[in-house]
Amino acid sequence: MRSIRKLRQVVRLGLGALLLAGCTQRMDTDRSLTFWCSNNAGEIAFANEFVQRWQQQRPDKPLRYQPIPEGQSSEEIILASVVGKTTPDIYANMWQGSVEMYAKAGVLVPLDTLKGFREFITARCDSAVIGEITSSDGHIYQVPWKVNPIMLLFNTRLANALNGQKPPYTYAGYLDAGKQIQRDNNGDGYVDQWLGYTEVKAIWYERLFNFYPLYLAASNGAPLIKRDANGRMRAAFDNPSAVGVFRFLQTLYRDNYFARERLSATRDPFMAQRIASQFTGPWTIGFVEKFKDPGFEYGTYTMPVPDTHQGPIYTYGDPKNIVIFNTCRDPQAAWEFVRTLVDKAGDLRLMELTAQFPRRKAIDSDPFFKVFLAQNPRLVPFARQTRYIKGVDNSEVIVEVFDIISQEYEACVIFNKKTPEAAIHDAAEAVNVLLMSE
Amino acid sequence: MKKWTPYLLVAPYILHFMVFVLFPVVFSVVLTFHSWNIIAPMKYVGLANYTHVFQDRLFWQAVWNTLRFLIVHIPLQIIVALGLAELLNRTVKGASFFRAAFFLPVIVSGVVVTILWQQLLSFNSGILNRMLTALALPRVAWLDDLAIAMYSIAVMATWKNVGLYIILFLVGLQSVPTQYYEAADLEGASNWQKFRYITLPMINPTMFTVVVLSTIGGFSLFVEPYIMTQGGPMNTTLSAVMYIYRQAFQYYHMGYSATLGFCFALIILMVVVLQRRYVEQEV
Repeated sequence: MRSIRKLRQVVRLGLGALLLAGCTQRMDTDRSLTFWCSNNAGEIAFANEFVQRWQQQRPDKPLRYQPIPEGQSSEEIILASVVGKTTPDIYANMWQGSVEMYAKAGVLVPLDTLKGFREFITARCDSAVIGEITSSDGHIYQVPWKVNPIMLLFNTRLANALNGQKPPYTYAGYLDAGKQIQRDNNGDGYVDQWLGYTEVKAIWYERLFNFYPLYLAASNGAPLIKRDANGRMRAAFDNPSAVGVFRFLQTLYRDNYFARERLSATRDPFMAQRIASQFTGPWTIGFVEKFKDPGFEYGTYTMPVPDTHQGPIYTYGDPKNIVIFNTCRDPQAAWEFVRTLVDKAGDLRLMELTAQFPRRKAIDSDPFFKVFLAQNPRLVPFARQTRYIKGVDNSEVIVEVFDIISQEYEACVIFNKKTPEAAIHDAAEAVNVLLMSE
Repeated sequence: MKKWTPYLLVAPYILHFMVFVLFPVVFSVVLTFHSWNIIAPMKYVGLANYTHVFQDRLFWQAVWNTLRFLIVHIPLQIIVALGLAELLNRTVKGASFFRAAFFLPVIVSGVVVTILWQQLLSFNSGILNRMLTALALPRVAWLDDLAIAMYSIAVMATWKNVGLYIILFLVGLQSVPTQYYEAADLEGASNWQKFRYITLPMINPTMFTVVVLSTIGGFSLFVEPYIMTQGGPMNTTLSAVMYIYRQAFQYYHMGYSATLGFCFALIILMVVVLQRRYVEQEV
């Protein structure tokens, strides 16, 4: 009997503690807005600075920041927090391709319903960007924030030693460079110096850094999917640009100009000069500058394009955006804070602290950013490229679209089992089936 | 003792069973009739998920890949484990050291072992290919060749698990009465005849256990291809469990993934029942 009484006491105490914990959490969230930033050092410093400033200017609207909790990926953490209803009020670093899924699930605040949002966003971004971030229901759920354009880095010493075309390259010039650079240095019958390397794994997101920027470059920034005359979403990439990209990449692998083996486990092959070029973003610059050998020189160029290409050369911008979750009790205040992150001063500070670029009009020619770019000449080509970047199509199933393309990419580009025409056609058919079932 | 005391004592287990076994199973059954991406409300779709399974070529390829893995893995596992158990069953010097050494991979983390093998099998820098090059033989793309990637994984998985089956076979071998062998010796039976007509029939129950355990273990193939090949090249190492995982946690098709899980469980059940019948007939 006594033990049962004790058990009851323990249960009561446990329930009391749980209740108290719940109340503490409740009181805590009642007090302030929460802002989750990315967990790299630059962005934590950025968040810290802006939250401090906000707290001084708006003591009536307390706000605290926290780097996104550790996990396999930030997407996984955000999903878990949405399911558990523990989302922050504001989240920066949302991959643009994920937004439509969350918007359709009704967990995001439509920002265009907030006071001052439309005016601000039209002043900051051009109509193409606004079109890209507008959801299928006509609302905008994301603030276009930062981009990292994918470009071609080329070892200048190796490029200067080549006969013929120098970067920036058309397909023919790049393939010719591959022919000259590819080498068996130790005479064992296997190539160990290549023109380039790009991840061969058939994981959907790897296509964002090889097929997709090349497709955008070849097609002047065309979408992968678009609405047809009947209003249905259909694959839009069964075209000569996509076929050309597959053929170009297939040739690079078939002729051993690109390494098929995984080089990611070894010392950075670009700096070890095992590869002459790579498709990458501005994040590489800081790394290369820090660890390069003396005398190692490189240049940044636009992505290779078809020989007959005309017009600007687009690329993938790897956009990360800011969203406000509908668990936020004061979306207007949250937007007022977000606005301080993405005004001109905020954008400049982002560049200074993280070497990433804001997604705004004409960064390369705006006098406001001139001093920064003059001090960081290595970033200037990326700043210029921000005029011609694209995100991904606004679709709930964009991951599956990339996965389908990835499967065909592997069959055609890596293993040469299909013609580029057949691979692209099959991918488009599969995407159409997928879109019909949505 | 009060009348309800036994109930109180089994309550933790019952609670655990209901929360972590019964509820997930029932919820999974419910899920198979719904479309659900975790964050949006569930949508009832009737039998659509089940009909989709029959049209899903990639699922059937993943099932076939898993069977291909099993066809190599199970016999290899039995031959290696039984052979080594036979050797270890004899009174040889250092037998206990070898028993521990063969068992060691079983207790090492699967992820660690897989990463180690990935390095061993690397085309350019792997030890295996370096040995081939030293012998003036051509290198092999162990994990990137469409024809052999799954078999490379099967060999690796055998190395990882064989220690456990050696122990099981050792127990089986040691339970065979020695007088049978003595009688066979008197009749002038060869070693092979003793093995074929005494050892094998006597360890049949152990053999059945090993076959069932390695079949079920093989059907749950995930870590090895997930880390070593991500299902490539060209989905030739995509296992059924990996595909179910991909549907659930990459595309968030929870309902469809649950349906695939049920269909796959049915396939496993059929295989195990067939195995049981066959082995019983043999006995």
